[in-house]
Amino acid sequence: MSKPAHAHPLVEVRGVEKIYPGGAKVAAVRGVDLTVQRGEFTALAGPSGSGKSTLLNLIGTLDRPTKGEILHDGRAVTKLNADQLADFRLGALGFVFQSYNLIPVLTAVENVEYPLVLRGVGPEERRAAAHEALKWVGLEGFANRRPDLLSGGQQQRVAVARAIVHRPALVLADEPTANLDSKTGAALLDLMGSLNAEHGVTFLFSSHDPAVLSRARRVVHLLDGALTGEEHHSR
Amino acid sequence: MVRLAWRNVWRNRRRSLINVAAMGFGLAAIMFGQSMMKSLQGQLIEKATGSFTGHVRIQRRDVDEPKFPDKFMEHPDAAAKLLDADPRVLVWGRRIQLTGLVSAPKMSLGALICAVEPEKEHKLTDMAGYLKEGTYLEGQPKGVVMGRKIANRLDVRLGEKVVLMAQAADGSMGAEVFRVVGIHETGSESFDGQMVWIPLKAMQDLLGRPGQVNQLAAKLKDIDQADAVAADLDLKLGPGNVGALSWRRIDREIIGIQAFQDGLLTIVLGVVFAIVALGILNTQLMSLFERVREIGVLMAIGARPRWIVRLLLVESALLGLVGTVLGMAVGSLLIWHFGRAGLNLPVGNAFKYFLPFPSVIYLRPAWGMHAFACVTVFVVTLLATLPPALRAGRLKPAEALRHV
Repeated sequence: MSKPAHAHPLVEVRGVEKIYPGGAKVAAVRGVDLTVQRGEFTALAGPSGSGKSTLLNLIGTLDRPTKGEILHDGRAVTKLNADQLADFRLGALGFVFQSYNLIPVLTAVENVEYPLVLRGVGPEERRAAAHEALKWVGLEGFANRRPDLLSGGQQQRVAVARAIVHRPALVLADEPTANLDSKTGAALLDLMGSLNAEHGVTFLFSSHDPAVLSRARRVVHLLDGALTGEEHHSR
Repeated sequence: MVRLAWRNVWRNRRRSLINVAAMGFGLAAIMFGQSMMKSLQGQLIEKATGSFTGHVRIQRRDVDEPKFPDKFMEHPDAAAKLLDADPRVLVWGRRIQLTGLVSAPKMSLGALICAVEPEKEHKLTDMAGYLKEGTYLEGQPKGVVMGRKIANRLDVRLGEKVVLMAQAADGSMGAEVFRVVGIHETGSESFDGQMVWIPLKAMQDLLGRPGQVNQLAAKLKDIDQADAVAADLDLKLGPGNVGALSWRRIDREIIGIQAFQDGLLTIVLGVVFAIVALGILNTQLMSLFERVREIGVLMAIGARPRWIVRLLLVESALLGLVGTVLGMAVGSLLIWHFGRAGLNLPVGNAFKYFLPFPSVIYLRPAWGMHAFACVTVFVVTLLATLPPALRAGRLKPAEALRHV
């Protein structure tokens, strides 16, 4: 008899190491063990080069660990092939990048609906879901604008809408506020926080900005690729 | 995917337009070249078969040179009945073709004497159309038609007499007086300077060969049937010493020219296709390099590697489609224009020594070849995209996202 889906943590990182090949082999992540539960609003903290982005890439299956194992909902994803990983990301993960990374030739709503296009969702259903996601991020009036006609903050909110449109179990955000001014960055964090609180979206994001980190309920500290501790904030 | 691909194609409008133009004009040039070559060949074949050879001939198998059969068929009636019975034959005529001597008071010259049935020959070839003075041979039992150049060399004019001499059946020299009833000008040295035309009956009398001929020449309703008709007739004629040949086995030099031109065209096509392929390869590599990060994003949000490969191939297919449509339009327009106005090609003069060949070529479309060129340009476009597309599919998402 199979276990219920919630019998496992959402993410388990077990003894993960990532060494980049080359002349001087650099260990970007060293022996990391980490567990993320459903509904968390967790930040990876650390200075530049501490391994935050690498660890997010590994958890997001965008890269493979040199050593160790990563499990999503009890499933070891490190052993999946490229197609299986793509399918897994399509179903279970959402991404928000530091520099927004919207497709410049598509409008806001077309960008948001793209994960659903890849999933083969019909045009009407996916368009409705994309509009709803844009509504959640407060951009329903900007659906038909291309990214170059949106501000940085608006672009990042479109990216958040794209990350949540298919209702993933986990949204990974790599320095999501780094390219935004403090006010816009705070507004984005408000948005992420409300999506977490009201819609139960699990967020794992990275930052080195204390103001951003103070908004997380759990902060995991990294230094030179290794976990150095964590703190919990009550809200 | 098609929507994204289409927008990606026009993301760098100038580059795509240059590419489409290169593809389109390359294809148009290919179509123009194909049409020019095929029209030239078509006119060459029309002139060769239409001015003398005919589409199919029945003659002796044991002749030294099929183009100039020097041996006689003593009983051509059975073969004639076969031609009469074949519905694919438009018209046919009996002929004797023999080298002989034409004598005028001041000079004698060697000539190719062509003895024909005037009323049939009129429909069989277009020689009567080249008459500049006098009439053709109908109703002129002792008339001779000759080219302007041989007439000038002999210093004879319309209405004057010449003596034709040729070897008779008994080995003696047969001779007969003929009156010049027509002078033609074809522009060809061979036709105007070496050939004379007389009625068949007069030639048979001169040679002492009543009822005998050395060829039966036929014009078909469709020249493309020539090989099939010749093969059928040959089968029906049986294993004797009389057989049937299509023009391809008589005018073998035309087949040689055709093969040479086709070879040349193939090389030119290969070069154009290679240029198109390199252009596309360059564009797609540039496009890929500019979009590595974006491809990383698509992979991150769940696009499979083969989906990325397909996206780039669809982009290329759209680009190829636009280029192909443009090429077809420009190529068809060029062919239509030069089909009406004609194309003055000096190459036409090169054939004039052998044939009455015009220097103006009227282009005709060669749709089969054009379709092949269009499909090839399209396929070459896709093939040229394959290496960058496969490379894109092999990108690792994390590395692609780090790309600056």
